[in-house]
Amino acid sequence: MVMGAEILVVEDDERIRGALRLALEDEQYRVSEADCAEQALWVFGQRPPQLVLIDVMLPGLDGFDLCRSLRRSSDVPIIMVTARSDSHDVVAGLEAGADDYVTKPFVPKELSARIRALLRRVRAGDSPGETLRFGTLEIQPEAGIVRRRGQEVSLTKTEFRLLCELAAGNGRLLSREVLLDRVWGYDYFGDGRLVDVHVRRLRSKIEDEPGRPRHLVTVRGLGYKLKP
Amino acid sequence: MSVQVRGSGRRRRVGLRQRVVAGFACGAFVLSASLSILTYEMARSYLLGQRERSIIARTYASAGLVGHELLSPAPDIPRVISSLVLPAGSYPVLLHEGRWFAASLQVGRDDVPVEIADQASEGRAVRQIIRLREVPHLAVGVPLPAGEGVYIEVSSLEDLDRTLNVLRNALAVAAAVTILVGAGAGTWAGRRLLRPLSTAAQAAAAVESGRLDVRLNMTGDADLDKLAEAFNGMTSALAERIERDARFASAVSHELRSPLTTLATSVEVLRGRREDMPERAQAALDFLAADVRRFQRLVEDLLEMSRIQAGFAEVLMVPVRPQELVAHVLRSANTPDVPIAVDPSASNVLVTVDKRRMERAIVNLVENAQTHGGGILQMTIDADDTRVRLAVEDAGPGVAHDDRQRIFEPFVRGRAAGRRGRAEGTGLGLALVAEHVRLQGGRVWMEDRVEGGSRFVIELPVTVP
Repeated sequence: MVMGAEILVVEDDERIRGALRLALEDEQYRVSEADCAEQALWVFGQRPPQLVLIDVMLPGLDGFDLCRSLRRSSDVPIIMVTARSDSHDVVAGLEAGADDYVTKPFVPKELSARIRALLRRVRAGDSPGETLRFGTLEIQPEAGIVRRRGQEVSLTKTEFRLLCELAAGNGRLLSREVLLDRVWGYDYFGDGRLVDVHVRRLRSKIEDEPGRPRHLVTVRGLGYKLKP
Repeated sequence: MSVQVRGSGRRRRVGLRQRVVAGFACGAFVLSASLSILTYEMARSYLLGQRERSIIARTYASAGLVGHELLSPAPDIPRVISSLVLPAGSYPVLLHEGRWFAASLQVGRDDVPVEIADQASEGRAVRQIIRLREVPHLAVGVPLPAGEGVYIEVSSLEDLDRTLNVLRNALAVAAAVTILVGAGAGTWAGRRLLRPLSTAAQAAAAVESGRLDVRLNMTGDADLDKLAEAFNGMTSALAERIERDARFASAVSHELRSPLTTLATSVEVLRGRREDMPERAQAALDFLAADVRRFQRLVEDLLEMSRIQAGFAEVLMVPVRPQELVAHVLRSANTPDVPIAVDPSASNVLVTVDKRRMERAIVNLVENAQTHGGGILQMTIDADDTRVRLAVEDAGPGVAHDDRQRIFEPFVRGRAAGRRGRAEGTGLGLALVAEHVRLQGGRVWMEDRVEGGSRFVIELPVTVP
């Protein structure tokens, strides 16, 4: 666990914000607060946190807009707080750039498990300082660098961890369950859409033709694999 | 409220289309039968009349010749009769001074009815249709001049009979064809007539399956447009009402979710400091925590139910191995020690499920077994070619037969399950099981366990890999 990591809580309900601050501070995090997207952007500009928790229902700019704005300049892990797990909100939030989501009313333990998983360090490769190559792709797990045709690609932390797990598979099929466990720390009942949307986002960054992927390919609805 | 549609109770056996077909066929039958009979009768009387006239005229001519011969001093009657020129099938017979003469062995005095000879003897010409050897013949009797006897000619009507037979058969075939054509026209007309109805039925089925944007097109036909208008009005009203309910549920959901999140989070903060609290505060905190959890479950269940009932439930289906699924569910239900009996038939099958919904459904059944069924005994999995069954077995008192359907309705409790215990559910547990399973294309029921106790069975279609 990253001790003392700072979390920005963006939530318009004052009492939820207050209660979350207490609960998160009990878990040794530092907490900053914002009650709307505009304030969140300002706070973020002042002192970037290590993780952002965003309620999708915000007055003014909503949670999706805020997520997209943050993503333009940052790879910070973002957790969306949605009202329903089976709604389009989840996919919309993930497509706006969120790394994970929790559904209100959540159990605090659930939230801290999500936060812990996203703040974990990227799993280091087998040998330090190694470079993995997949065709025109070049991945340096420890340095946190990905290059496509020599050009550095900017990935979010979760996208990068997903890519490293796929790369460690070395051309083998990795099921959604395995990826959910290794990247997000989910058990069997994790939401497969997390993997699917992240794969989509990754492809748009590392593939020449994201619609016809060459490296990150789908295996008959079972999972994904990364090949040269 | 239920509206009885008039006439729907009676006559259910025969549909409108069958009645239209039968009506057309009957009409065609009456029309073609009367036309055929009329045609036959007219043809018959015309042909027969014509034949009769020619036979009578010839008979008079022959009678003249015979009469003339009889006037001669020594009439040679057999010669005269033989010399008459008659068409084939016509036979002359003569009664002269009590003696009978015939020109052919085919027809003699025995074949001529007595009344013809009697009446002709009295001076009147007679004609009569008789049957000789199953063939109709016309017998014409003419008195000879000066009362010297009777001349009779018997002519076969066989050719005429044959012609009429052919005509009768042709008309019968024509009538049958007309009936078939009538029935065909009836089928076509029935389909035409019912096409707007079957369109309406399809639209109604679409509405039932949740597509509330379905509307019937106006056809320009005043009668049908009335139906279409009523249908469209109904669908709009229904869509509006469902949308209002959904808006209400979503408003309630938001209003309840926020305070619940605050409550659950604050209780968690308190629980982190439980050891610092006086004993009585700890006890109060435990009550608070347990009921906040229960409240949270109740709100989640209510919202889940309202979403499903409003038709807004999304189902995320993925293929899984039932055995794996059950093992994971038991782990997340904190009952990993419950034995799973897998029948060999189910060891290699796949089912396609929404994992979250299956988890909720099985956890609810497990909790139900623990609360009302005296504890869960085991879970079983078995399969046949098309279906997989997952069963939660308990050793409880079971449920009365009459209640076995009702326990899957919201807020219905079995008679044996009245007492409110500590781990009591929300009253929606089994109802949600039924809804979750239905959304995944399966069904759920409760049955007796052979060795005592009861089984709650979830049945799902097998996925063909």
